[in-house]
Amino acid sequence: MSKLGQVVEAVEKYNQFVLEQVKRARTDEKFGRDLLGRWNDIKAKIPTTRTPTGLPLPRLALPEISEPGEIARYLFGDGLPGEFPFLNGAYREMYLEPVREIESFEKNKAVAAGVSPANRAKMQPTRLAPQEEPTRLFSGLMLAEDTNERFHYLTRHQRTHRLSTAFDGPTLYGIDSDADGVFGKIGEGGVAIDTVEDMVRLYDGFDLGSPNFSASMTISGPAPIIMAMYIAAAKRRFGSKVAPKLRGTIQADIFKEVQAQNETIFPIEPSLRFLTDMVEFTTREMPRWYPISISGYHIGEAGSTPVQQAAYTLSNGFAYAEMFAARGIPVDQFGPRLSFFLDCGLDAEYIALARVSRRVWAIGMRDVFSAGAKAQLFKLHTQTSGRSLIAAEFKNNLTRTAAELMLAYMNATNSCHSNSADEPFTTPSEEWIRVAAHGQAILLEESGIFKHTMNMLSGSPGMKAVERAVEAAILDEFREIERLGGVLAAVEERYQRSQIQNASHRYERQIYDGTRPIIGLNRYRDGAEEIPEVKLVRTPRAKQQLQVDRLRKFKKKNAEKAKRALDKLAAVVERGENCFPTLLEAVEVCSLGQITGRLQEVVGRFRPMV
Amino acid sequence: MPSPIRILTAIPICDGHDSAINTINLEFIRHGIEVVYLGYHRSVSDIVRAAIQEDVRAIGISSYNGGHIEFFAEVVDLLRKHGADDIKVFGGGGGTITHEDAVIMKRKGVDEIFFAGTSLDDMVKFVHKRYSKPRGKRARAKSFDQELAHKLTEIEDKKKIRNSKFEIRRRSRVIGFTGPGGAGKTTLIDELVLRFLNKDRRSRIAILSHDPSVVGQGALLGDRATMINSQNDRVFMRSMATRGQAGGLSPATRDSLALLARSGFDYVCIETVGTGQEAMPFRRNGIVELTILVMNPDYGSRLQLQKIVMLDLADVVVVNKSDLQRARTAHTEIEQRLGQNRRHQQLIDMVAKRHRDPGVDQLFALISRNPGAKRTRN
Repeated sequence: MSKLGQVVEAVEKYNQFVLEQVKRARTDEKFGRDLLGRWNDIKAKIPTTRTPTGLPLPRLALPEISEPGEIARYLFGDGLPGEFPFLNGAYREMYLEPVREIESFEKNKAVAAGVSPANRAKMQPTRLAPQEEPTRLFSGLMLAEDTNERFHYLTRHQRTHRLSTAFDGPTLYGIDSDADGVFGKIGEGGVAIDTVEDMVRLYDGFDLGSPNFSASMTISGPAPIIMAMYIAAAKRRFGSKVAPKLRGTIQADIFKEVQAQNETIFPIEPSLRFLTDMVEFTTREMPRWYPISISGYHIGEAGSTPVQQAAYTLSNGFAYAEMFAARGIPVDQFGPRLSFFLDCGLDAEYIALARVSRRVWAIGMRDVFSAGAKAQLFKLHTQTSGRSLIAAEFKNNLTRTAAELMLAYMNATNSCHSNSADEPFTTPSEEWIRVAAHGQAILLEESGIFKHTMNMLSGSPGMKAVERAVEAAILDEFREIERLGGVLAAVEERYQRSQIQNASHRYERQIYDGTRPIIGLNRYRDGAEEIPEVKLVRTPRAKQQLQVDRLRKFKKKNAEKAKRALDKLAAVVERGENCFPTLLEAVEVCSLGQITGRLQEVVGRFRPMV
Repeated sequence: MPSPIRILTAIPICDGHDSAINTINLEFIRHGIEVVYLGYHRSVSDIVRAAIQEDVRAIGISSYNGGHIEFFAEVVDLLRKHGADDIKVFGGGGGTITHEDAVIMKRKGVDEIFFAGTSLDDMVKFVHKRYSKPRGKRARAKSFDQELAHKLTEIEDKKKIRNSKFEIRRRSRVIGFTGPGGAGKTTLIDELVLRFLNKDRRSRIAILSHDPSVVGQGALLGDRATMINSQNDRVFMRSMATRGQAGGLSPATRDSLALLARSGFDYVCIETVGTGQEAMPFRRNGIVELTILVMNPDYGSRLQLQKIVMLDLADVVVVNKSDLQRARTAHTEIEQRLGQNRRHQQLIDMVAKRHRDPGVDQLFALISRNPGAKRTRN
């Protein structure tokens, strides 16, 4: 049995355990009394805040139950926010504004967190540390300097600088900007990165080693090479000791590329090997870095059902955990450095998809991988659904995105990206990016939906019904993958791919036959087609030429050194050693395309699955 | 009955958005169109080369990653440069291609751009209306490959072939690949192509590949999409639909193969559709001089092996996916089965999809070491 089969058993066993606890709370008087006592304690310690209109509200809402069995069901089955199995949230407090009126808040906080009285004083400064905004905005356009300018614009009002980087097509496929036939693609849909020099330009003016800075890079196929460029660029600017201070995330999710997004450049096994090389390096040398973002977003965008999205993402995650553990990386070292990325659309499942995912992950990590508390957390970034947005009457997209944002925050996502309404037809323009970002601020800061009581909308009977149905469906998917021999075997026989494509065709058919209403497209459509008059962000030819010119200059300057570096890299890969340290040297003198090309000579190219 | 419309569909380089095109391909074949699908992340030269070799009526490009104005224009220009402007270009990109872009693209020679919300029916109607008229008299081909492609179309359409202005060169070695669907024939051919190309820097290879027509409908000719080494100027590939013929080949295969075999290629590889137990697509002493049966280790019980006719006829039997659990048993059982024949048939284990697989190397060595082996034997 692969680890995935064991996860299924662990979840079933845990659910059985919960039922036993419920029963015990009802039959074992002392146990029941203790639970009731603990419950009353918890309730008493929840701080109260006042809304601007003067209404007192608890920071955390608990179900109004006093029967020990129901208390057991809540505490063991769902868990308080920040407590196993984390259905209600990875952390104890999220989204909350600073308390307006508090009753012994600090004392309660420290007690609840299990801090000894002697240490309570030490906690004070943490409350003063800048609160991190959960808003993330994905950006990348034209050349490195243009994206840099956009980054500065986007973060000008933010205390913390959390940059999320989109790369152009050639970069995503590990190709140089001077490659045959890619000229028109340079800087389209993301930023063009060919060399370490581009990487220096990309984050110019930001303090990469600061605790208030983090960079997220959405790239998977050539991720280890891009990661090496980022480290090299940081070292060029901040010296050789900066690596342990670097914070950020690189996507590096090979499984989802093969299952859905098609941006794979090496065959699956060497791709996984290069990924593990990188993870082994970053968990050791860069303890603050998230070297993989296990992503369901692209699975969802490729047309999967929400359950498929969650099931494939989680099972991919467990497969990575199995792989990293097999390399000898301790689970409590890599576990806390895994993060997740899900899509949030408008289907009913989304009301609880991430909640259930968090629970299944925690149980699997604890009971199958023997992970400690920090390695059990399903840390989640959510993005609203791009696929749900359409070009026709595109301002309706604001409503779609707003509804999706509500769902995302009801799932207690740790961070979120809201799509721009103009996304169906262009790289988002500043105007619509601003509206999208403000959409989140309106929900979190302006409205009282999340800032007073973090779980104001949780726990409804409907939400519980979806949770149960979604969890059962996820476990069914796990069983099927296990039957096929585990994630890698299923990927190689295109199982997930076929399922996703099938769901996608059904989705499209439903739109065409009208059983899936899309307002403004197949329902309430105006006679006249509205042509969006939004200014398009396109990369001018002169800029594309500039990128090609400076790449050629870089290659010419480093021609001799590049040859030696590539020979060394090839030799290391042939010998089967961890190639990441050698990659770090190679990016100093080689372009992305040169490195990809040489690695492909050694390990081959990815053969597309169709 | 007129021949089905043949079109080629593809996604541009650095673009993996294949969700829309997958849906559209299925809709096209449901409506009688033969679609040569080239796959995603394909360069302009790959697309134009394939379109000329396949001699399609039109190219449909699905682009979601930007740069479409340049990309479509480059396709049109390169077709023109190769004298192939009778191959038309259309496409779409959901909302990423604006109406303004479409105007420019049409001015540069693109027939039609479909926007978000266009129904699948409208796309099918467009292709039928625009590309179903019989071709008129064709301009003289500008290249050897183009002329060959035109002649193959004439064979498929059962027309008389004109004489060539290009010299017909020596006879090729013809290697036949057959076996059940999913055994890995296409991957094996593509891996052999890589070795052919690397071994002799001047050699040329032709591939004649077959996919089944759906009853009463079109066909999805999808082999090119997974072939990464065969998109090369030194490779001529033609995909054919079986158009109702049973047995793994098309009514036009024999004449097409004969033409390819005397067109100066060093090797001609012919791949059948996935075949059943009784199939014997290549006859003894026919044009195919070396027959390779590619098998999965999962053929069922030992008794099933007795029923596979090709096990008697093949010169080489390949057990692909030899990393699967059952592969050793399969090897032993097939070895015994071949022993009954006393024909010194070769049995090779391999994992064709693996880079630099020693089994594929072994087959390659056998093919290149033994030119005309069968002819001497017979």
